[in-house]
Amino acid sequence: MREIESLPLNQTQKLRLEKALDQLDFLSAGANSNACVTVADTILVDHQDGLLKGHGTTDFDGELVATVCGVVERVNKLVYVRSLRARYKPEIGDIIVGRVIEVAPKRWRLEINFTQDAVLMLSSMTLHDGIQRRQTADDELNMRSIFVENDVICAEVRGFQHDGSLHLQARSQKYGKLEKGQLLTVPPYLVKRRKQHFHYLEKYNIDLIVGCNGFIWIGEHVETKDDMVEDQVTESEQQNASEDTHTPVEIRDKICRAANAVRVLCTLGFNITADVIMEIIELSNRIDIHDMLGAEFCVLVAESEVDRRRSSTKKK
Amino acid sequence: MEFVSPEGLRLDGRRPMEMRQLRAEIGIVSKADGSASFEMGNTKVIAAVYGPREVQNRSQQLNDQALVRCEYTMANFSTGDRRRKPKGDRRSTEISLVIRQTMEACIMTHLMPRSQIDIFVQVLQADGGTRSACINAATLALADAGIPMSDIVTSCSAGYLNSTPLLDLNYVEDSAGGPDVTVGILPRSTKVTLLQMDSKLPMDIFENVMQLATEGCKAVANYVHEVLLEKTKQLDKHRGV
Amino acid sequence: MVGLSIGEKHFIEGGIAQNLRTDGRKRLVYRPIQIETGVIPQANGSARVRMGGTEVIASVKAELGRPSSLQPDKGKVFINVDCSPTAAPIFEGRGGEELSSELSGALQICLLGGKSGAGAGIDLSSLSIVGGKICWDLYIDGLVVSADGNLLDALGAAIKAALSNTAIPKVNVAAGASSDEQPEVDISDEEFLQFDTSAVPVIITLTKVGREYIVDATPEEESHMDSAISISVNRQRNLCGLTKRGSAGLDPSVILDMVSVGKHVSEELMNKLDSEIAAAEAREEE
Repeated sequence: MREIESLPLNQTQKLRLEKALDQLDFLSAGANSNACVTVADTILVDHQDGLLKGHGTTDFDGELVATVCGVVERVNKLVYVRSLRARYKPEIGDIIVGRVIEVAPKRWRLEINFTQDAVLMLSSMTLHDGIQRRQTADDELNMRSIFVENDVICAEVRGFQHDGSLHLQARSQKYGKLEKGQLLTVPPYLVKRRKQHFHYLEKYNIDLIVGCNGFIWIGEHVETKDDMVEDQVTESEQQNASEDTHTPVEIRDKICRAANAVRVLCTLGFNITADVIMEIIELSNRIDIHDMLGAEFCVLVAESEVDRRRSSTKKK
Repeated sequence: MEFVSPEGLRLDGRRPMEMRQLRAEIGIVSKADGSASFEMGNTKVIAAVYGPREVQNRSQQLNDQALVRCEYTMANFSTGDRRRKPKGDRRSTEISLVIRQTMEACIMTHLMPRSQIDIFVQVLQADGGTRSACINAATLALADAGIPMSDIVTSCSAGYLNSTPLLDLNYVEDSAGGPDVTVGILPRSTKVTLLQMDSKLPMDIFENVMQLATEGCKAVANYVHEVLLEKTKQLDKHRGV
Repeated sequence: MVGLSIGEKHFIEGGIAQNLRTDGRKRLVYRPIQIETGVIPQANGSARVRMGGTEVIASVKAELGRPSSLQPDKGKVFINVDCSPTAAPIFEGRGGEELSSELSGALQICLLGGKSGAGAGIDLSSLSIVGGKICWDLYIDGLVVSADGNLLDALGAAIKAALSNTAIPKVNVAAGASSDEQPEVDISDEEFLQFDTSAVPVIITLTKVGREYIVDATPEEESHMDSAISISVNRQRNLCGLTKRGSAGLDPSVILDMVSVGKHVSEELMNKLDSEIAAAEAREEE
């Protein structure tokens, strides 16, 4: 996504943006100032007690040295560097959004912005009938009726297998194929792990899935299907039905606004949460959707972010 | 030809031990995992890093470490006189290999087994010292991509003309036929990872020239560190808690 | 190119039908365009153009050459485009060649006119120095640094900006040379001639998706296209070149309609580019 430097700001906008960003500097000062390190920086530690060297650190001539750029975090005896811009680092239970790359025997391979493709086994899926059962050879032959190449799906990280590959699972009706909407990719450090990654923005009737891997899905709201799924509907009928009905303009309007909100946040490098996205949608109500990507709106978002962070620090 | 005037100034007005203006920018290619541009005077290169990602050609997959690949390309307009060169000529292949080996030495490849890291460097303007500029740009791009490295690598060149050691040769000085020593160091351990010289030089003078180039590398390292730290602070502050 | 699921494709197509694209644009709206001139000091003229996430650089280099025997009083212009692997890993090695030659070909058609040089956006006779003996050869090189859709229009804009940034040294021909010898020339270091770029056309690519046409398509939209038509239009609203891309067939009446829509868009784009180029030149002089 674009960087702040490439925004076509005029003189006043530049000053306002600088001021807003300075205030953000000021607000975050004290929280963890001077904790930023770059590659090959020494991390100051007491060597007294048994120290645990975490991610992003290495031992060099008895000193603890950072191997990535980021922020030093200390949890009891563990010292690690939380990297900022990097690929996704999976943790068990993470909700992710991914794209199917390949349909292989008994498994799908997915691109999820990790160092390798992730694997979703057919056996880790709850099938349409919703019954826990052994998968049969028939199921294997019908894999393409579930997901094909390029499908966007939502799943959960199951864990690493012995061979080092990353496995996913989708054992609930809330997981599965995503349609009628758009996929955005942001750097994963902008997404924090939370209790809730599925959001149904009732006011706008849209679904928002903020994947921990930085893939964000914004689409038309879909009712989570009943366990008694309409198995009878054949493939072709579904196809026809979806071709006739385009997303209604009002909903599309909101989807585009939400998507542009994510784009603006990504340009500014602000944390992305459902609340902030909703706020920005409200903020954008009076302007044209495409102007949301312009310089003026970007400055507005930065200024409102200052207010938001200021009020949240006051509450504390 | 006189490369150092009696007043001790070089053709472009620099002192013998003076480096050209450095300028770096991080994050210039929107779709890459990491990217940077690096300028040393009129020499300008950009580097983009893709990965670590799934190995594209399964037969190249390594089970205990990441596969590092590198491609060096020169834009048609990068040199003074325009030349149409086929892609993948010997010089490019050689520089690609040098950059790959240099960067591979500091990337902690064992942490990313069965993945692939692609480094692409593109020369926009060549005015001497492209090798060094490419390595410096690649270092920044790798750090931007969040790829763990045991140290950064920085590089600088030095030469010897009119009985004077000169730091950071430009194109005119480079093509004068004198020796050109390109050094790459790991600043933390002050180890040399890259050393190349053409032409000939007496042993004791070589030591001086190499020392000068090493000092240049350290200066570049300071600059690179500054750029990275500033970027990291900026990212962290904007993100908020 | 970009892989999209059926659901996403359908969503994009629906948006285009409803005149609301995924980033909120209407069908005939461009992304913001940014122009910077003089980015390659070693060239006679250069420019960088950004359109959304697309970034291209164009440079113009002038060299003395001999005119071809068929057109003794005209100069020559060569256009070549490269796709840098920094833009996408698939351009690595020879991977970018196919796209590069497609883009070069389209630019040649759009900017250079016919074989005789008639109808070219660049006045070739202004490049002649001594008829039949010496002329300027203009080498126009494009480089795609970052690819985010609509490369051809961006390259066209970059070349236009680079040409208006171009200064060609004044050449003094030594008088009195006999007509068989190659005359001696003296290239001035101080006096430069600005290039007349008023006739250089702009390029507009209309991508047909479903029944509608869009400009400045993103890679997602491009991956979904049936076919596209690129036209170049100059200030006088003359059509200077046309290429059709994509495999699907088009009805002739549709083509005519697309051309007229493109012509309409061209005026806006031309004004936008001219003002951006003027602003960029002003910034450079500062």
